[in-house]
Amino acid sequence: MSVSSPAERDELNQLLLQTGRNDQKAFAELYRRTSSKLFGVCLRMLRDRGEAEDVLQETYTTVWRRAATFDVAKASAITWLVTLSRNKAIDRLRQHREELLDDPARFDETVDEQPTPAAGAETSQEYRRLQHCLDELEPQQQRSVREAFFTGATYNELATRCKVPLGTMKSWIRRSLMQLRTCLDS
Amino acid sequence: MNTPIDDGNHNLRYAEYVLGVLDADTRAEVAREVLASDEAATAVALWQRRLIPLAETVGDVAPAPYVWARIHDALQLDAPARAPLAQPRRGLWNNLALWHWLGIGASAVAVALLVVVSLPRPVPAPKVAGIAYMASTIQQDNGTTGWTATMDLQHARMVVVPATPVAFAQGRAPELWLIPAGQKPISVGMIARDKPTTIALDPALLARLGPTAALAVSVEPIGGSPTGQPTGAVIAKGAIGAAPDAGGKVAMIGNVRTDRPWI
Repeated sequence: MSVSSPAERDELNQLLLQTGRNDQKAFAELYRRTSSKLFGVCLRMLRDRGEAEDVLQETYTTVWRRAATFDVAKASAITWLVTLSRNKAIDRLRQHREELLDDPARFDETVDEQPTPAAGAETSQEYRRLQHCLDELEPQQQRSVREAFFTGATYNELATRCKVPLGTMKSWIRRSLMQLRTCLDS
Repeated sequence: MNTPIDDGNHNLRYAEYVLGVLDADTRAEVAREVLASDEAATAVALWQRRLIPLAETVGDVAPAPYVWARIHDALQLDAPARAPLAQPRRGLWNNLALWHWLGIGASAVAVALLVVVSLPRPVPAPKVAGIAYMASTIQQDNGTTGWTATMDLQHARMVVVPATPVAFAQGRAPELWLIPAGQKPISVGMIARDKPTTIALDPALLARLGPTAALAVSVEPIGGSPTGQPTGAVIAKGAIGAAPDAGGKVAMIGNVRTDRPWI
């Protein structure tokens, strides 16, 4: 599924708006076109198919109930949907992180460790711009931002994973975020 | 968690929230702020617009069709329970792994698969993996396979093929039950003892298929159990697993745990 072209984006916006008017067909079509993307995002964060399925289910039941609050002037449908699924996945991670971390089986569900656009896949203008700004960060800082985004890890966890003091991790990420804002808003 | 150092830092908390690095308490604080203040909501929305495009690099993974069935069930929608979902990359017909996995003579499975794969395929196949089929070997207590069930989740159908015809007393027939973990059996339908039976799965049944559920066959009156629960002896049972072609993990197979009180 591609959500990178402006036309595709508009269609998804329309589908979400129609879903907000209780259009079940539009909702089914929206699910068909976006669930693989959202499931990929959830699976990558949760590393467990069952957990990711639960979060995906929660996400779309919330979509159905809250679609009427979607405001196309504030965000595109795909941003709204990805945000919703990430929020639910992060909540789930925070709820029972220990269980997940203790379960070695979850590492079997690794999706892709080095996310890069699939060969030949189209990316949106927004993504290319973001990537350009990420490329201007120090390599280690760029890695930390990516790791944070894709895994939903806390500062503490990121510091442990990268074997740096918590303060260092915080300053890497904060500096990166400030640099990204400057670069993206320029 | 944060001591604001400058004005920019406050805005950074919204960025940290969107990035996902805050602990549970700080996340909850920001979430409350977003609900209460337009300014916070706008700041968070701006950060979403800046950062969420990164998700484009995450590979798509098709969820199992029963996820849609569960959503459909939870929301009590009237729209078709079968979302036009991803197809497996290869036909089951050519999938030797599934045949080996089922571990029984090909002839019984062949009939089930023939029925399953010959169903119409209205949707073009995108190149993504997902669980599209599940299967179960329903074994008798002596270890002999009684029936093999193949579930085509996309088309919400189950094909049940007898492997070894089982003898029944006059006026008695086999009834198939789905047993979700820790729940009461749900009738799937009457099945034939000597030929394949195709059963349409309603959304409630579809939503409950999965590796934690089991299938069982009990001996009932010809018209089915009068009570809605098994009344006769349970003669065969089997765990449900994702078919190996389908991108899902192969779950356990064989006899189910016997901690279900009614078995």
